[in-house]
Amino acid sequence: MILRHDTEPMPAPAALRPSPIAWLIAPALLLFVLFFVLPFSVMAVMSVYSGNPVTNPNAFLTTRHYMRFIVDDADIFHDALWATLKIGFITTVISLLIGYPLAHWMARMQSRLGHVLVLMAVIAPLLTGIVVRTFAWMTILQDKGVINTTLMSWGLISKPLPLMYNEFGTVVALVHIYVPFMVLTLTGVIGRIDERLEQAARSLGAGRIRAFVEVTLPLSLPGVLAGSLLVFALSISAYVTPSLMGGNDVLTLPMLIAQQVGTSFNPNFAGALGMILLVVCLIIVIAYNKILTRLTGEKGLA
Amino acid sequence: MSTTPARLSPNRVPFDAGRAAYIGLNLVLLAFLLLPIAIVLVFAFNPMPYISFPPVGISLRWFDKFFSSSDFMNALWLSLWVAGCVLVLAVLIGGACALALARGNLPGRSFLTAFFMSPLMLPAILTGLALFQSYLLVGIGRPVWGLIMAHTLVAVPYVLRTTLAVLHNFDRRIEEAAAVLGASPTRVFFEVTLPLIRPGVFAGGVFAFIVSFDQFPVSLFLVVPKGETLPVVLFNYMKFDLDGAIAAASMVSILLAIAVVLVLERLIGLKAYVKL
Repeated sequence: MILRHDTEPMPAPAALRPSPIAWLIAPALLLFVLFFVLPFSVMAVMSVYSGNPVTNPNAFLTTRHYMRFIVDDADIFHDALWATLKIGFITTVISLLIGYPLAHWMARMQSRLGHVLVLMAVIAPLLTGIVVRTFAWMTILQDKGVINTTLMSWGLISKPLPLMYNEFGTVVALVHIYVPFMVLTLTGVIGRIDERLEQAARSLGAGRIRAFVEVTLPLSLPGVLAGSLLVFALSISAYVTPSLMGGNDVLTLPMLIAQQVGTSFNPNFAGALGMILLVVCLIIVIAYNKILTRLTGEKGLA
Repeated sequence: MSTTPARLSPNRVPFDAGRAAYIGLNLVLLAFLLLPIAIVLVFAFNPMPYISFPPVGISLRWFDKFFSSSDFMNALWLSLWVAGCVLVLAVLIGGACALALARGNLPGRSFLTAFFMSPLMLPAILTGLALFQSYLLVGIGRPVWGLIMAHTLVAVPYVLRTTLAVLHNFDRRIEEAAAVLGASPTRVFFEVTLPLIRPGVFAGGVFAFIVSFDQFPVSLFLVVPKGETLPVVLFNYMKFDLDGAIAAASMVSILLAIAVVLVLERLIGLKAYVKL
């Protein structure tokens, strides 16, 4: 990574008058106010109205959408929230177990070519659409998929294993989709840890595993936390994968939101559900940013 | 485990079981990342509607089915059209925004940068929902330009990221030298800054295109029946049928992704992209 910031002279405070170039920010500001800030405000407003406040003069302020979620007579919403968090948590843990070795390998790789190749292998899936990657797992895990047909043709099983249309299939595909985010976050953090610390431990007699467990692993823990928060936030807001891989077994918050818009046509209640998901994600994202800022701000490790 | 501490003798390393296990594990994990995508490729050329190993032959029937279906083709053209518009808009808006952030001496720069990156941080399905509700409130329905603006919103951060990466990496003294030698600020901008950031802006444009082309969550609530983008059509098709036509369609997306990775590596280097 480039660490040239130290040699770059900081602009003197006296020179901090906006230059004419600053006006170039105007189109982006306009776009973001009209299509980002206002819409999210509209969502917040819709969530506390009984109907569309513009077209329906009888629409009134109400907390009933939130109450409906909180009271939850049929236990649907609490179950959905719980399922969402559970799937997010399992996905995060498995992504960490898969992502850490890969990130460590990449961060410590000497060969430049090898590094680029592994990086490409990690980024390529990231650039393939979510629908396509979910489809890939459906061809592998379905009853007539690659795994079941192969095992059956070898005579190892007589009827297909239930690999899809359940939580298992959902988690497998989600892990595959979000593991690159874990790898990229962790590689940056592990690459910043001075390798000589580990070498010092080794030369003082620690075995390779001990040097890793007592030196590198503790120093990388903030990165582990940051990567986990990111993957968690992404997987609890996933829609495509749970709805295709989950079958009737899985109902998550984003699926519930889509139901409210599509089949129940209750955009106000959808707005309330959206606000709940938004708040959860915001808390996670702010924590993620705090951790990463503290990490990169610490010049001692760089 | 090796018993000797690491020495500075990289040549003639004896066989090391621990190291071999470490590399073996990582190769397995890499295979986990890449194999599913390879299987889509096998499926696309597989003559049967279901995969069996070993494959029984090669056929182009799924490509034929995909390219001769008017539903798929309408969706493909709509997606390409939307992605093209998004590319142009995101490059212009995002590139200008990056310049303003890096060279405009704006107060609150880090806050503004975080603000413009935030569509990547919030659940995309909520961005789609919020825009859907706003269009509903204003009563404009679900026009294609509304979809394009929604995609542009989530594509701008990518252009911003790649352009800022290039702006941070290049030596500001080149601009200062031009100014010292008598070039006006406008001339410095057009003859020094702009050519230097071009690779970053191009890379961002490539990203913007693919983000829009593969976009699902933002599109979900913003498309109308008979006017759906390719990922939405594929999604709806996959709920009922899983034949190779989807695999053929997926190939288009995968080829685009591979092209993007290669273009990015050439333009700005993947490392610069990952850094920000």
